[in-house]
Amino acid sequence: MNENPPLLEVDHVTKTYFHVHALTDVSFSVRAGEVVGLVGDNGAGKSTLVKVISGVHAPDSGSIKLSGVEQSFRSPRDAIEAGVETLYQDSGLAPDLSIGANVFLGREKLLPGIRGKLGFLAQREMDVQAHADLERVGIAVPTGRSTVSELSGGQRQAVAIGRAIAWARKVIVLDEPTNHLGARQAGEVLEVIRAARSQGLGVIFISHTLPHVLEVTDRIVVLRLGRLVRDAPTSEFDTNSLLGTITGLIGGDRDPALEAT
Amino acid sequence: MTQQGVDAPGPQGAAAVVEPAEGADGALERIRTLVRGQQFLLLIALVVLVVFFTIERSAFISQTEISNLLNDWSTVVLLAVGETFVIVSGGIDLSVGSTVTISGVVAAKVMGGMTGTSEPVILIVGLLVCIAIGLLVGAINVLLINVARLVPFVATLATLGAGAGFALVISGGAPVGADSQAIEFTTPKLWVFSWPVLAIIAIVVVSYLYLHYSRFGRFTFAIGSNRFAARAAGIAVKRQIAKIYMLSGLLAGITGMFYFLRLGSGAPTSGSGEELQAIAAVVIGGVSLLGGVGRLGGALIGAAILTVVTDGLVIINVNPNWNQVAVAGLIAAAAALQALRPGRGLTSSD
Amino acid sequence: MYGVMSRGRNRLMLAAAALVAAFVAALAASNAQSQAATANKVIAFNVGAASDPFFVAMEVSADAEAKKLGYTVDWQGAPTEYSPATQIPIVDTQFAQKPAALIIAPTDPNALQAPVNQFIKAGIPVVNVDTHVTKLGSVLSFITGNNANGGQNAAKALAKAMHYTKGKTYQVAVGLTSATTTTNVARLAGFKQEIKQHYPGIKIVAVGYSQSQPTKADANVSNWLSSFPHLSGIFAIDGTNASGASAAIEAHNLVGKVALVGYDAYATNVALLKKGVFSALIAQNPTQEAKLAVDDVVKYLKHHSKGGIKHLVTLPNIVLTPKTSAAALTKYTYPAP
Repeated sequence: MNENPPLLEVDHVTKTYFHVHALTDVSFSVRAGEVVGLVGDNGAGKSTLVKVISGVHAPDSGSIKLSGVEQSFRSPRDAIEAGVETLYQDSGLAPDLSIGANVFLGREKLLPGIRGKLGFLAQREMDVQAHADLERVGIAVPTGRSTVSELSGGQRQAVAIGRAIAWARKVIVLDEPTNHLGARQAGEVLEVIRAARSQGLGVIFISHTLPHVLEVTDRIVVLRLGRLVRDAPTSEFDTNSLLGTITGLIGGDRDPALEAT
Repeated sequence: MTQQGVDAPGPQGAAAVVEPAEGADGALERIRTLVRGQQFLLLIALVVLVVFFTIERSAFISQTEISNLLNDWSTVVLLAVGETFVIVSGGIDLSVGSTVTISGVVAAKVMGGMTGTSEPVILIVGLLVCIAIGLLVGAINVLLINVARLVPFVATLATLGAGAGFALVISGGAPVGADSQAIEFTTPKLWVFSWPVLAIIAIVVVSYLYLHYSRFGRFTFAIGSNRFAARAAGIAVKRQIAKIYMLSGLLAGITGMFYFLRLGSGAPTSGSGEELQAIAAVVIGGVSLLGGVGRLGGALIGAAILTVVTDGLVIINVNPNWNQVAVAGLIAAAAALQALRPGRGLTSSD
Repeated sequence: MYGVMSRGRNRLMLAAAALVAAFVAALAASNAQSQAATANKVIAFNVGAASDPFFVAMEVSADAEAKKLGYTVDWQGAPTEYSPATQIPIVDTQFAQKPAALIIAPTDPNALQAPVNQFIKAGIPVVNVDTHVTKLGSVLSFITGNNANGGQNAAKALAKAMHYTKGKTYQVAVGLTSATTTTNVARLAGFKQEIKQHYPGIKIVAVGYSQSQPTKADANVSNWLSSFPHLSGIFAIDGTNASGASAAIEAHNLVGKVALVGYDAYATNVALLKKGVFSALIAQNPTQEAKLAVDDVVKYLKHHSKGGIKHLVTLPNIVLTPKTSAAALTKYTYPAP
């Protein structure tokens, strides 16, 4: 078992949109070198939780801690600077920019000297390094400047994952990274996730594809209707029991129905 | 817009190898390459137009006429530059026309009150007033867009109307000031170039470098391409949007001063409709109104084509009503070209 | 998402409320003046394109004359649009306030007939200035400048400035606002008629439209100067064209070499006339038009009879040249508030 101290702690987080309780009192943690699966039905609160962890939304109450230090992310920039990288489902890339530009988006390298002070980009250096970074995590890129919109869905996903892993320092959040991928490519993405784990990153893996979750994660957190209903080692689940917990056929150890009393 | 619903099996070997998507067939690929060179096509169109008008009237490439063309191009090109930044970021700025008017009128009032001061000082003060007014209009746009959260079309439509109204109130409907020395300033000094035209060209060059080679430009494209991705990547989107509209206002203010120099007065209707000229130049130049795609070079040539057509029709003495028809035709042709673009065009299926 | 939206909506409401408040305050302030007068002492005055210096001059004059006679003027008109579609609703609004009289410069003779009729039916006298409704007999009087005559005068002035000699030919260009502006059309007709009758050597080689933009007028003239190197003269048919054409002539250092006759005595144009940039300016007399209109209305309201009121008054357009006396130039320069 992973005995590292917790890297990321989600501590009693509640988030309400209008009158919808998107998240109610959710707590869990991720250790360094651990892959935690985050599962739940549509509307269970997964995307909201991702946005809270990555600084897109602030929680109404509760907090996020990194290495034991409480964080108050006011924007994605704060989360990125604290070491949390996020792969957003379907919307993390700028399709009209080149691969290199996307990998370095928000972290552009500037030219040395006066030109850099004036804000001019070291585009060639970024292209070369993007190429190397993606290759390092197992993704080969052509050295062209083709835009992301010219890539296929799977190829875009690969760039997005590569970018997230290349930059992550502490925690990486992957929202549906195997969506739109064929079996072979999905297997390769899972391989990339294992590589990230062995580098000592904390990984949060969100997916509807339960076999992938069971295959790659160390622990699984199940959300239902905005509440955390189960947090247990992956070895305690099989496909049926996981599905049962997600849908509510099998009561979790913190079932909302029970807690309502 | 992003098209991710395709389940594409990866190539053999390395993990998720990324390489350019293959085109359907060679012919389509060739058309795409040609279209991607839209600036090249535009340049050819420009040359053809110039040759045509020159054959009709050799005076078209006389020294005086070239300086006329440069003067007329200069009235719209800075607006087109500002509009390019705005449109690439996914917005639109309709207020630039009335910003030209009101900055020219207010500057004329201020300059008119400066008796006993030397002409260069007066003109520098005028330029500063124009810049201040341009930035002020830009700031109001930013407030409406970023704070009141109006869509840019509505926000800048409001400032367009307000600016035009204030210009009428301030001027009383009549041109303000009669400064012949200012007009003298727009006559060619260096071959066909006047000093203001050279200054405008310098601004255009700097803008070009900043849009395509700087972080400022990169953020502008990123926001227009995918606003969420830009924010998620840590870009301060609202701050960038604010800078872009301020820039557009600034360039409109400078254009307002150029109008004053040309007319020697601040005229209460001088900029009306110029926002549409600028947008037409940008669209003809191949910049996508959806944001994220475009080259400033295209917009510059677009402005040149508009100028050449407008002036050329006067030179060859065609009924001036045809001018509007010609401009409409150019816009339609440019839009058709854009529709052939892969992924983002009007004919794209997603 | 919803949280953000509701916050955005609140801000939007705040912004909207602030705008509405400012607007209402502005309206209240401007209304305070017109409310002060009792209804039967109010003369409604309605024009198209109220910001045109020509109409601004009318406003100044009408205000002064009405005040002298113990009346107030309710001056209305769309700021820049000269069209019946925008004028009619404004006229209807003025009717609802039951003024003592209406002075109107209709933007279209047919379209404005019905709105004018409702005043007449209600016993409110109507005077036309500058332009008129179809049934001229229905209005108390009609006071106008003579645009065709102005065009003829322009042709005479231009011929003189070009030192017209029989047997020689002279290339001339004309700058208009658009092909449909009624005053432009009448002036151009007069201009052409005079040329045909007396100056056959003058050839109109080009006609351009400014679309109300002086910069466009400037560009047109600049292009003509390179297209027609032997251009002898330009007729700038209205104020906008006069501004643009004079700037182009100055920019190309052709002052005194290309004759320029302009229209409308804007203060800026008069200043350029003094410098010799314009060979001549044709001035209308908005001050007199408005004064006579107010006089007619007040006369009728006092005596309830048309006695002593001339039904049709046509004021000549005045030709101003650099040699015109300073006093006359001041007199005919359109006053601004």
